[in-house]
Amino acid sequence: MRLTLARHPVTEIKFGDETSLDGTALSINESELRALLLEDQRLESVGLDVVRPGENCRAGPVFDIIEPRAKADGGSPDFPGVLGPSAIAGIGTTHVLEGAAVTVVDCRPTVTARAAKRSILEMSGEGAARSPYSALQHLVLTPRSRADVPSHSALNATRMAGLKAAVYMAQAARTRQPITTETLGPIGPTEPGREGLHRVAYIGQIYSRQRSPEIDEHIFYGLNTTGMLPVLTNPNEWLDGAVLPSYDTSLGGAETYFYQNHPVITDLYRRHNEGELNFVGAVASISGLDNEDRDRLCQVAAHLVKWGLNADAAVLTKHGGGVPHADMAQTARLLERMEVSTAVMVSDMSRDRRVESALLFNFPEVNAIVYCGGGDTKWTVPAVERIIAGNPQVEEMLAQSQELMASSIAGVVNQQGASHVRAMTY
Amino acid sequence: MKIVHYVNQFFGGIGAEEEAGRPLEIREGAVGPGRLLEQLFGDGSQVLTTFVCGDNYAVEQQDQLITDVLNHLRASGADLFVAGPCFEAGRYGMAAGALCSAVQAELHIPAVTAMGGENPGVDLYREELFIVDSGASASAMSQVVTRMVALGKKLVAGEEIGTPADEGYIPRGLIRDAFVEQNAGQRLVAMVMDKVNGDPFESEMMSTSFEPIPMPAAVADISKARVMVITDGGLVPSGNPDGIEGMAATRWGTYSIKDKDGLDGKDYEISHGGYDPRFVEADPDRLVPLDALRQMEKEGIIGELHNEFISTSGLANPLSNTRRMGKEMAQRVKELGVDAVIVTST
Repeated sequence: MRLTLARHPVTEIKFGDETSLDGTALSINESELRALLLEDQRLESVGLDVVRPGENCRAGPVFDIIEPRAKADGGSPDFPGVLGPSAIAGIGTTHVLEGAAVTVVDCRPTVTARAAKRSILEMSGEGAARSPYSALQHLVLTPRSRADVPSHSALNATRMAGLKAAVYMAQAARTRQPITTETLGPIGPTEPGREGLHRVAYIGQIYSRQRSPEIDEHIFYGLNTTGMLPVLTNPNEWLDGAVLPSYDTSLGGAETYFYQNHPVITDLYRRHNEGELNFVGAVASISGLDNEDRDRLCQVAAHLVKWGLNADAAVLTKHGGGVPHADMAQTARLLERMEVSTAVMVSDMSRDRRVESALLFNFPEVNAIVYCGGGDTKWTVPAVERIIAGNPQVEEMLAQSQELMASSIAGVVNQQGASHVRAMTY
Repeated sequence: MKIVHYVNQFFGGIGAEEEAGRPLEIREGAVGPGRLLEQLFGDGSQVLTTFVCGDNYAVEQQDQLITDVLNHLRASGADLFVAGPCFEAGRYGMAAGALCSAVQAELHIPAVTAMGGENPGVDLYREELFIVDSGASASAMSQVVTRMVALGKKLVAGEEIGTPADEGYIPRGLIRDAFVEQNAGQRLVAMVMDKVNGDPFESEMMSTSFEPIPMPAAVADISKARVMVITDGGLVPSGNPDGIEGMAATRWGTYSIKDKDGLDGKDYEISHGGYDPRFVEADPDRLVPLDALRQMEKEGIIGELHNEFISTSGLANPLSNTRRMGKEMAQRVKELGVDAVIVTST
């Protein structure tokens, strides 16, 4: 499986007569895009706002951030299982608008100011400087559903609007010559010429069963993960639209953008291409509902890595809080017992800033731990001129000067590996 | 810099173990390692006073020792309190830790000490103090005192203290955020490669080993026992009268089940953000099994069901919270004369 990323840098987004990419400036025909999005009859309106790096602007609550990408003909489709029929993602050429983003705001009227504080797009100031998202050119979408649309369906419409806008924008690049191209793959346990290198696999949780997913919640090729066991995947699938974050943004610290630009997969590919290791594949896993579910899921994930990928090393990430944390550690322990070396990435669980409260496991063999911090980083952010909010109570909150935790600003604390904040032990 | 220094009878030049019972002596000026302290602090720094005390006396009369040292220090105008270095001398370390802790807390004078990693004073005082890692051997004296001086200067100046590795103190078990060059994904892959290659790697977090909790004796006769239910599943009466937080709870509540044979979902709600509560909302007996326990009470399988249950929410809670709440609950259970507790979790 080969995936070519054809990158087109974007340094400006503006509205214009037609949707086109001129050099690094992307013009968007606003009415054409709006008409496309409003084909979804659940939506009553959709706001489109261009936001630039350094702008005195705050938006929220962020439902998702997506890198605009569109598939060239002949490969796999855009977001298979979601925007179209199911097919394996990660094949052929994908045009990428590098430096651009579609940021989708959750506009449900029931979202409280407190809940909205979990994920804010901050474009200027100290906090923004710590988020990769503040350096991007954003098209911010505010899709508002009709009053009679149930909550989960409104979220589904919000998801679809974001993905459609992202593909629509990047389609403007399909006729343009990319500035850079990068081909990823083929990889796998049987690839020749890799003898003598360590065989490294990635196990990424994509959902936690602490919460029941909505019936129409797209997570894995459109599946809401109910009943799902861990699945063997090619990492190209992750980069090319197979995996999407949950509707529930409180659990993950995950955005589509960092599935498309997955920090762990990207680094494994880099080292693979430099001949330092043999990247053999990825497993998409789930954390369990109860102890029996946990044992089953952890064992299947570990066995896929050992017997499906023949790995001798694996890196693991989690999605969510305590249950995912423990399940990831248990999977790592199973792997260690099968002589697969592991390293795990945990999020910050220590509310009292003590080492003793940081980990939910004590397995001597699970001793390589990357610890994303964030629990004691906060900024007092000023009032801003421009607010893009999902509803009036959120607008009032966003407008104020206030103290924001690192975890409030999208992109600062992240469970996909994008975080630069770590906890140091003193 | 004005320093006050504490040493044991050995480093005070009185004698070895046979002099361990010697009471506190207050001497003017530097004694033993204090001379090195003075010299390394430089700039006309002086050790105003040296406290010399036998190790046995210090441990057996600890309260008196602390009182005497604090009384003297109060009027001394000292900028810094130094104790040790103690190396692996256990009683010396315990006394040094207790004194530094009291001086810091009550007089707000910065304090620094030094011990070897196995010194029992480390476990007791590492969180509140800067304890320079002295290793086991007193032959490293000048190296250790040099680190104590560097740390002492920073503490007096109110400067930010760096990492244990940079400053040479024993990790206090506290964590603090820092922004680093590499993202977490890059750090993760680098770490697994070091591990699988057999190269040294530095985990960003260490597991904590907890003392095993011994299994209590079995209930002698359950048919005569008073039984109580405690849950961390967040079941609270509608309206959550005690305001128990759904995450990192700092409170717990006691709720009556008097004259009830089962719990009705209409009367309760769940304050817990970490599990799918629909089944418990529909029938709270599945978390607090009142229906089954009443039946057992009727059949004489258990003696009596206590007419209240205790509830809190067990989610993302730091140990400093849970330890306190656990003690409070245990105290309450004892006061109520309950013989056996069933703890249900989610």
